[in-house]
Amino acid sequence: MTSADGIRQDAAADKARSEELERDLLAVANTRDLQAFKRLFANFAPRLKFFLVKRGMTENTAEDVMQETMLKVWRKAMLFDGTKASASTWIYTIARNVRIDRLRKELRPEPDPNDPCFVPDDPETGEQAMSRKQDRERIRKAMSVLPPDQMTIIKMSFFEEKSHGEISSELNIPLGTVKSRMRLAFGKIRAELEVTS
Amino acid sequence: MNIRHHVGDDTLMAYVNGTLPEALSVVVATHLAICPDCRRSVAMMEDMAGLLLMESEPAELLAAEKSLAEIFEGGEEQAPASDDKAVSADRYHTGVPRPLADRMPTSLDNIPWRSLLPGISHYPLARGSAGKGKGTLRLLKIAPGKTIPVHSHTGQELTLILRGSYIDDLGRFQEGDIADLDSDIQHQPVADTAADCICLIATDAPLKFSGFFSRLLQPVFGI
Ligand SMILES: [Zn+2]
Ligand SMILES: [Zn+2]
Repeated sequence: MTSADGIRQDAAADKARSEELERDLLAVANTRDLQAFKRLFANFAPRLKFFLVKRGMTENTAEDVMQETMLKVWRKAMLFDGTKASASTWIYTIARNVRIDRLRKELRPEPDPNDPCFVPDDPETGEQAMSRKQDRERIRKAMSVLPPDQMTIIKMSFFEEKSHGEISSELNIPLGTVKSRMRLAFGKIRAELEVTS
Repeated sequence: MNIRHHVGDDTLMAYVNGTLPEALSVVVATHLAICPDCRRSVAMMEDMAGLLLMESEPAELLAAEKSLAEIFEGGEEQAPASDDKAVSADRYHTGVPRPLADRMPTSLDNIPWRSLLPGISHYPLARGSAGKGKGTLRLLKIAPGKTIPVHSHTGQELTLILRGSYIDDLGRFQEGDIADLDSDIQHQPVADTAADCICLIATDAPLKFSGFFSRLLQPVFGI
């Protein structure tokens, strides 16, 4: 079943697909497996292109940026840590950073875990690799039932990478409404994550 | 560290999708370095984005074979894995997390503060690559008992407490806490302990001061 906004509620199929993608990514990391990379490419390249065209790129630029992203996936696969992110999350962050490098003069600084000032996660939460996987299933579940007005904003933000101001003027609603709908949406997803299994 | 005030979800989302101005992103990233809670929220948001990516409809590729061939051809020379991270983490022993340390000219103890008002001084930091970034980034030092004159904001203001604490209409902010303020909020922070309160402040639009000190501060903050 596909909801109007494209987050399916079919958790089992999604789980199987996620696991397959993760296996492929690990195979690329560990053995430079060409076939595994081709499968990743077949899965992600067309979707990355869709995402980049949504951002307003021409088809050619979008394929260029997609190729740069997939090249980074190929080169940096050994940095993928399945306990911290799913394959699709990891590839999303690479695509985002490639886009920022390309289109932006501004930097997006990130915390550095090797920094002596870095405060690590509690061991209690750090060790719960399995719970991270359950988290993703819960996030999917919560997203599949978000009201359309909240989902629209989430998609414009993540998918079209629009700023809050751009969303506000495009939907012709006040900036405060954009922000409060976001807070509502994240509140629901967080509540779902806090349900104890 | 017992952090009680965090980055708002809407601000975190703008950080995640790369639309938050660099000056504000520095403050968010510095807080993320010391706040596992907010890092968990970032992970949640990136998972949401990853799900949306995986669920999106595939576009047709014009040159899939060519792309693949070029990746395999050019791909094997290994890009040095995050070489910038190899640089010693805290060059100047600034005692602050890296996203901020990278922009500090010296340690927090040796900042050449510039006085604004009695008991209040500041130090502007480069706001972004080539100074073109939107907004401003500065360190601010408030002596014990001193007050930042009442002001409102025309945009967003993010404040991270690095040392000491202050209190204002919204509550008490201590080391590690972040105040994430929107344009409709007016406040008047007071350093409320025996130590200097040092904070990192980013704004994406000018502040508006009212009252006696406004003419003094407006030229500094109202830009
Ligand atoms: Zn936090
Ligand atoms: Zn303020």
